Amino acid sequence: MSDIQTMTTASGCHLFSGCGYPAPSIEDFYFKPIFTIGSFDFTKPMLLAILAAAIVLAFFGAAFARPKLVPRGVQNLGELGILFVRDQILRPQLGKKGDRFLPFLVSLFFFIWIMNIFGVIPLIEFPATSKFAFPVALTAMVWVTYMTLGMRSQGPIGYFKNMAVPAGAPWWILPLLSPIELLSNIFVRPFTLSIRLFANMLAGHLLLLVFALASWYLFTFSIGLLFAATSFVLTIILTALEVLIQALQAFIFTTLTAFYFADALETSH
Amino acid sequence: MSRSGARPDGTNDRPGPNEGTGWRVMSYLIGGMALYGGIGWLIGRWTGIAVLFPIGMLLGLGLSLALVVLRFTRS
Repeated sequence: MSDIQTMTTASGCHLFSGCGYPAPSIEDFYFKPIFTIGSFDFTKPMLLAILAAAIVLAFFGAAFARPKLVPRGVQNLGELGILFVRDQILRPQLGKKGDRFLPFLVSLFFFIWIMNIFGVIPLIEFPATSKFAFPVALTAMVWVTYMTLGMRSQGPIGYFKNMAVPAGAPWWILPLLSPIELLSNIFVRPFTLSIRLFANMLAGHLLLLVFALASWYLFTFSIGLLFAATSFVLTIILTALEVLIQALQAFIFTTLTAFYFADALETSH
Repeated sequence: MSRSGARPDGTNDRPGPNEGTGWRVMSYLIGGMALYGGIGWLIGRWTGIAVLFPIGMLLGLGLSLALVVLRFTRS
């Protein structure tokens, strides 16, 4: 728990008790280190990322440790997850020939989803992806992969040429349009990919904090009780919304990754 | 989009417009405005003509729209 939350709950700061509403802020996204090695601080988000990786590994490990032709138990769930990523994300973008990317996309989807879901798990209550470094690291992997794929399938020069020259454009407009193409494919893509995930998770977590803290702050035996009840109901509704958004953001991130791969493999537009 | 030939069973290897198309259009629009707005801003700083920044952004927006038309209507 961050300092502000601890302060609020510990001090019993309530309506009419003379202290203002302790609004959540960006401070709530910085944690005291769990332990420190030299100048390296190990914090809660790092722990959560490791935990998410461990959960994904353990789940698929358990599902496919001894695979049976007729799946039962946890293997059923595992196959359901993999088929979802294959049929809803990979196949519509890459077609059948893209099946070699299935392991990467499955890992990506479930890792991001688990990290997002931590935001509504009681006692954890922090989406690790709302720390900008995690989306950035994931995006860096995607970026390096699709640039490499493009250069390998179309040649280093051909890739940038196909990227920069739209088919059917008159030659005199190319000097104006090509820079936009290059900028949008090389810089805007990874930028928006990481920002979209990070900003959604940050905003969602802040929103939940606002209403959860307000419920506690307004909880007094006065008219505040009514406000607290309203705020509490909103917290519940927004939590449901967050669950939806967490799945959606993992889905969008993976879909766009598949789309960028498909775009890099396409020889001509 | 109904024109899309991509089916979940993967029977089509050349997908049509899909979710990616929309994000790609957005990325063009951002790219165009950032690039030409940035160039306009730099020249504006250099010459002291502040209005070059919005002009550059509008120019970038127009050019990226032209790019979107070129990329997605003549396939």
